[in-house]
Amino acid sequence: MRQGLETETQQAPRGGLLLLQLFVLGLFLVFVLRFWYLQIHKGQEFANQADNNRIRQHQVCAPRGLIRDRHSALLAVNEPTYALAIVREDSQDIASALSYVSQLLDLDLERLRETFDKGRVRVKRFEPQILIPSLTFAQVAVIEANTLDWPELKIVVRPKRVYLQGPLMAHVIGYVTEANEDEMNIDPELSLGDYVGKKGMEFTMERTLRGKKGLRQVDVDVAGRQLSSKVLAQPQAGADVWLSIDLELQRFADEQMGEHAGSVVVLEADTGQVLALVSKPSFDNNLFVSGLSHADWAVLRDNPAHPLQNRAVQSAYPPGSVFKHVVAGCALTKGVAVPSDRVFCPGGFQLGNRLFRCWERRGHGVVDMTRALVESCDTFFYVIGDKLGVDRMHSCAIQSGFGEPTGIDLPHESSGLVPSREWRMQRFGDVWHRGGNLNMAIGQGYMLTTPLQVARYTAALVNGGRLLKPQLLVGVPPEEQARLPLSDSHREFLVQTMVDTVEDGRGTARRIALQDIRLGAKTGTAQVVRLMAEHEGRPTSEIPYQFRHHAWMNAFGEKGARRYVVVAMVEHGGGGGATAGPIVRAVFQHLFADELE
Amino acid sequence: MTPIDRRLIFHFDWLLIGLTLALFAFGILNLYSASGFRMEEGLARTSFYRKQLYWGGIGLGGMIAFLLFDYRHLRILAWPFFLATLLALAATLIWGKTIMGAQRWLDLGLFHFQPSEFAKISLLILTAKLLALEHGKLGWSKLLFLGGIGIVPVALVVKQPHLGTALSLLLLMGGMVLFRGVQGPVLKVLAVATPALLPLGWFFLHDYQRQRIVGFLNPHGDPLGAGYQIIQSQIAVGSGQLWGRGFLEGTQSQLRFLPEKHTDFALAVFGEEWGFAGCLLLLFLFCVFLLGIVRIAAEAKDGFGSFLAAGIFFYFFWQIFINMGMVLGLLPVVGLPLPFISYGGTATVTNFCLIGLALNVSMRRFFFKNINHRRI
Repeated sequence: MRQGLETETQQAPRGGLLLLQLFVLGLFLVFVLRFWYLQIHKGQEFANQADNNRIRQHQVCAPRGLIRDRHSALLAVNEPTYALAIVREDSQDIASALSYVSQLLDLDLERLRETFDKGRVRVKRFEPQILIPSLTFAQVAVIEANTLDWPELKIVVRPKRVYLQGPLMAHVIGYVTEANEDEMNIDPELSLGDYVGKKGMEFTMERTLRGKKGLRQVDVDVAGRQLSSKVLAQPQAGADVWLSIDLELQRFADEQMGEHAGSVVVLEADTGQVLALVSKPSFDNNLFVSGLSHADWAVLRDNPAHPLQNRAVQSAYPPGSVFKHVVAGCALTKGVAVPSDRVFCPGGFQLGNRLFRCWERRGHGVVDMTRALVESCDTFFYVIGDKLGVDRMHSCAIQSGFGEPTGIDLPHESSGLVPSREWRMQRFGDVWHRGGNLNMAIGQGYMLTTPLQVARYTAALVNGGRLLKPQLLVGVPPEEQARLPLSDSHREFLVQTMVDTVEDGRGTARRIALQDIRLGAKTGTAQVVRLMAEHEGRPTSEIPYQFRHHAWMNAFGEKGARRYVVVAMVEHGGGGGATAGPIVRAVFQHLFADELE
Repeated sequence: MTPIDRRLIFHFDWLLIGLTLALFAFGILNLYSASGFRMEEGLARTSFYRKQLYWGGIGLGGMIAFLLFDYRHLRILAWPFFLATLLALAATLIWGKTIMGAQRWLDLGLFHFQPSEFAKISLLILTAKLLALEHGKLGWSKLLFLGGIGIVPVALVVKQPHLGTALSLLLLMGGMVLFRGVQGPVLKVLAVATPALLPLGWFFLHDYQRQRIVGFLNPHGDPLGAGYQIIQSQIAVGSGQLWGRGFLEGTQSQLRFLPEKHTDFALAVFGEEWGFAGCLLLLFLFCVFLLGIVRIAAEAKDGFGSFLAAGIFFYFFWQIFINMGMVLGLLPVVGLPLPFISYGGTATVTNFCLIGLALNVSMRRFFFKNINHRRI
């Protein structure tokens, strides 16, 4: 050991060391305080953040309830479909992923970007955002083949609504579409890509059909890989719905309509059950499920035949002679006429300097109320209507269920229209003219009814006067909404005139007669516009389509305890008996097929 | 080397070695947890904790080696050792292995070796030697001389780049100089100039280093980028709450939300799994550990020993201070490990060697006295 070095013995001053020790202690106190702050004071908050880091909750789709007809035939089902989704957090470059998708599937890049931008705010981190709701198998194959290069693109299997009957049931069932912005804002249960009922029973029964989504908790690591999962809430499938519709009858009635535009309503007279509700032309509701392009939508919307319109419920027409029973009943109830009152029909009715023509130019001669209804004599009702006046006819029509929705479980039902003095003043700023009474008495002028309203009224005539809500769900009890303003004897008298209309040799509905079935009917031929002189008296086939009359027939048929009402309405069909009659007859034949063997 | 004197064993600082081994054991336990990460099929484990055990074994060997000789011999070795370190640092810059953008490792075949760690030891010894040669407080000239020596390894480390180590070299030397004592006027100038010049350092920083500072000042400005590490670290520590999530139960680390969990942010894993209670215990151990080294510096009987111990104190102190501050979100992210807790081969060996040196100074504190007695 070198001695020289030992001389440099010195020590740092004690005071400095104490300072150093205090400095260390002070710093450690700061650390203790900081640990306390992070772990105790804000510990719960950080613990929650840690859970947010690792726990993701995924919704589990609840299968939508199936829709069946009254005999359990399937109408609407769910089938798996392949959707293309993107997981933003897995993407290095979303823009190039989108352009890749647009190239691969030959889609418009702008629209794809739009879809992505609109949807992204609604999708949580690490959750797949649906870009394209349904892919063909070929598209799935192309994408699957390239997943290695594009980890952000995911094929997601989701249930898709399929309507097995397509156009046949489109107006009753309606359709689902992906929930839009507004619907998601209103209904917190809906998230992006969810289907929601838009029209028809899909809309009305949304709550029943939708079910309740399940919740799955997934533990993920920082890369979003799912490590374990547990179900927090089982999805509850939506309940199935059984419609009152008889699919076979519906199909049959639909076929009977052929290429005509119009509608057929078949009701069970005593329950209000809707057995068939046909509206022609129709559309394929499956188109809406996978998202209708703007172009396809425009084609449907602008189609002059209005295939999206449910003509049985949403369209209101002048009832024509079909309305005469309401007027006749009204005259009896109000004491303006008795069944035996007679009127001479010379082929028209002179009011001031204007001649109101009867459809039978040659005149019906002397008619009582029965003959006036059976042969549908206009002159008789001009006289009655003139006596009744608008106020009483209005009140009778309203009480018979016209001028207001029937309450059927379908959206956007039309009220039709029963004109009144107030309405005319409001609409035209004009007082009611006496001529209006005459037009109204034969169901022309401003009077508008839906086929369903006519069917409900006809059912009430034969079921004891009860106006029943038309029911689209099987098994629900009849719901009486009002009673016809008719005494039983008057009602039975009116029913008998309908029977006579079929059975009498000169009855306007004589061609629908069926052996062994008690049938009653009334025809109606509703003017669309006052026929121009040039077309008058010519056969229907020679009149331009849009000027032709609407053909109506409302009828009932009964055998034993079974009682049905059938209403056929053919737009621009010409004469009610000639065009609507065969349809009604065929439907009754189908209804009573077992009796007619 | 002379045979072991019985007094050496008698004066051995059992508390310091006990604390060291306890901290190392905590570190291994924590690394065992930090090595794990959950996969789809269960818990997978990397081998960091086992490697750390090997390094600990080597470190213990180094510690014993640093015990056996009389530390005063190091005065002779100080300069050669220092020059050798500079050569190794220069070699690293030329042949070094680049990992994650930084050229810090020399590939020695069996393992990678980080010369910058040993730069700390050699600078420490050289500084202690030079300080011990001085009488009275340090003036400008001596300070500049020391600074000139220190700047060489610092510059070489900055080139790698390894900001953390460069900083710790500066802080180590600075701490020792302050411990030695600086003349009053010089101290005043330094006290004013250092904070004033600090912002200039911004211009010498790499972009990623600047981002760390921005991330520290406003972690939520870029929660998935610059602020990610800071936020996730605090979430990990905070979510431990009072008793912790339990050993191997930390979700932040097991699910890999926390990067660098086995190295610089190992403390966050510890905080997550052991909670406030565990952290208090760890802080207590570290505090006693540091104060124990201060005592060695105080009781050393010669200046060189005292300055060695002081240097060892600052070596550990700055790392503990900066690492904890970083994990707790009190300081920007600087890549300094937490001694004995963070994984790091060369660092672990260095830590044990320096503890060996501290024990060396401690156990020979009466030697001197006796020699003096003999001379009297």
